[in-house]
Amino acid sequence: MINLGSYLAISFALFVCGILVMIARKNIIAMLLGIELILNASALNFAAYTKFTNNNLDGHIVSLFIIVIAAAEAAVGLGIVIRFFQLRESIHIDDAATLQN
Amino acid sequence: MNSTVVTYLSQSNEFSAVVKWLTTHLGFDATSLVTFVIFAVASLIVVGALATIGGLGTYAERKISADLQMRQGPNRVGPYGILQFLADGVKMILKEDIIPANADKFTFILAPFLCMVGVFATLAVVPFSSGFMLADLNVGIFYLVGMASLVGVGVFLGGYASNSKWSMLGGMRGASQIISYEIPGTITIVSIVLLAGGLSLKTLISGQGGLPQEWYLFHNPFAFIGFFVYFISALAETNRAPFDLPEAESELVSGYHTEYSGMRFGLFALAEYIEVFVVCGVAVALFLGGYKVPFDLGTGQILVDKLGMDGMIAKNIGQVLELGSFFTKTFALYYVVIWVRWTLPRLRVDQLMTLCWKYLTPIALFNLLGCAVWMYAFDGKSIYSIIFNSAAAVAGNH
Amino acid sequence: MFTNTLFLLSALVTLGGAVAVVYSQNLMHACIYLLASLFGVAGLYACIGADFLAATQLVVYAGGVVILMLFAIMLTGGTGNNINRYGLEKVAAMGNKKTYFFAGITAVIFSLVILKILANVLKAQPASVLAANEPTVERLGTILATDHILAFEISSILLLGALIGAAVISRPRKERHD
Repeated sequence: MINLGSYLAISFALFVCGILVMIARKNIIAMLLGIELILNASALNFAAYTKFTNNNLDGHIVSLFIIVIAAAEAAVGLGIVIRFFQLRESIHIDDAATLQN
Repeated sequence: MNSTVVTYLSQSNEFSAVVKWLTTHLGFDATSLVTFVIFAVASLIVVGALATIGGLGTYAERKISADLQMRQGPNRVGPYGILQFLADGVKMILKEDIIPANADKFTFILAPFLCMVGVFATLAVVPFSSGFMLADLNVGIFYLVGMASLVGVGVFLGGYASNSKWSMLGGMRGASQIISYEIPGTITIVSIVLLAGGLSLKTLISGQGGLPQEWYLFHNPFAFIGFFVYFISALAETNRAPFDLPEAESELVSGYHTEYSGMRFGLFALAEYIEVFVVCGVAVALFLGGYKVPFDLGTGQILVDKLGMDGMIAKNIGQVLELGSFFTKTFALYYVVIWVRWTLPRLRVDQLMTLCWKYLTPIALFNLLGCAVWMYAFDGKSIYSIIFNSAAAVAGNH
Repeated sequence: MFTNTLFLLSALVTLGGAVAVVYSQNLMHACIYLLASLFGVAGLYACIGADFLAATQLVVYAGGVVILMLFAIMLTGGTGNNINRYGLEKVAAMGNKKTYFFAGITAVIFSLVILKILANVLKAQPASVLAANEPTVERLGTILATDHILAFEISSILLLGALIGAAVISRPRKERHD
């Protein structure tokens, strides 16, 4: 049951869910949720390929860095969201369409 | 399976006898079945025992506070009032379960369970003795830190879902406090991991001995400071006084569980008391020698050699001694936690954050660096062995 | 047997959480479902013997990212749809039928592309015996400090930058006196 195909299928489903969330939502935080799903899907892929091909942990390293990047992205992204909310009193993505003021 | 309860019990003759009997009567290899049953029973024992300890924690809290304030404390139910926690539990179960009309119902119901799950999941790796651990994960301490952070989510959601200003403020304070104090706590844990060379709790304990000079607490000066950093962060992470700002009753009624009643409130309280036990157990495992007992009594080897005892009986005696050692140290720390609560006044919010970010985090980073340098410079020897060896060298190495 | 059960449960939690994130109309609930999904991913890591990755997933996501998200949701006005200051017509913040329709089309296109790539892997079922799961922490540490030292250092600089950047961006600025 545990084979490469099932892992790829799961990560594929996660990725599609992430894309759906990212495009269907207009709330910036909800879009960040979608990005987390997409990053997790890719990290899962790397770990699965490591296990089912040659088992030399390089994929684990890449997954670790993806987790690091996800954490950094969440911190900076949410900082920007909060700043944006202070400026516009909204976190709707359409309000972020202007370049100035 | 990687569970040490099973590996310990499988050394005995009875285990193989039971397996053989079941295999002949059932017609298939019963090893995994017996393993599963032992594992399930051990888990039930741990959960039941720890729930009782959590209940007794409320009793101890009231009794010790009464003692510190020269009062009587609960003394009506049972001898010395020891059954008071059962009476409280029954009262809580019988109370009406109120969900506020404007509360976010799904989140409101979920929050206490998140707290409970976070705390009970950490019990899987708490080392009660060398033979009685539910699972010896090789990322044990890391898993424990990750699972314990679920409590923060539970506290925050409890505060948010209640739709009340007091709960909101309490939940916000609780979550920010928990994630802030995770940083010095985790860095201190990492410095001890550096000394031991492994993340598994068994590895962490096996580097220490039964006697105090063999503990990591007295291994080097940095670990000694680290113990206090970890203990303060643990107090703050479990929302205990003097860091109990999330439930500061003088300003926030009761904090994040203001709107909870009945058993849902009970789950929050139980989770808090069990978490105090868990962090005390981790402090004991990391710094105070864990379950180790002096003079090889733990493995029972000395009893076999000197008294000619049967191997398995000697081992069992060793296990009981180890359990006693672990629980004695943990309850001593538990007493200190309660003692601190009824002695020190509560901090202000800004003082809380100042303490974490301006003092504890730099000290923890300094300790980490210091431990690394110590391991490099002195080849991992403890300060006691260095002094002892140099003294022996001065005395002429007799 | 045990690993298979764990795998099935984790897969169920992961996919259920992800689907619930898509369908939930309440941002707070979506965040909780995301937490469930991330826990499921940690379980999936554990199934293929990536113990350190699983623990990292728990620590970083449960303790860090999700609480951060919950804080951001709370600081930006909770789950309500914000009204537009400029009076322009906007779609609802959590999406409506139109956005879901376009998202669905995009997802289908992406799915077709990915399935075309994956088809070979999914068709070929390698029946080779898998290596037994062994502790990875020590090996990971070794290759992290030898082969991948540059990436390790760069990620530390990235994290430092993120730390300072987040603090600078979200810092409340002084009111201008004019």
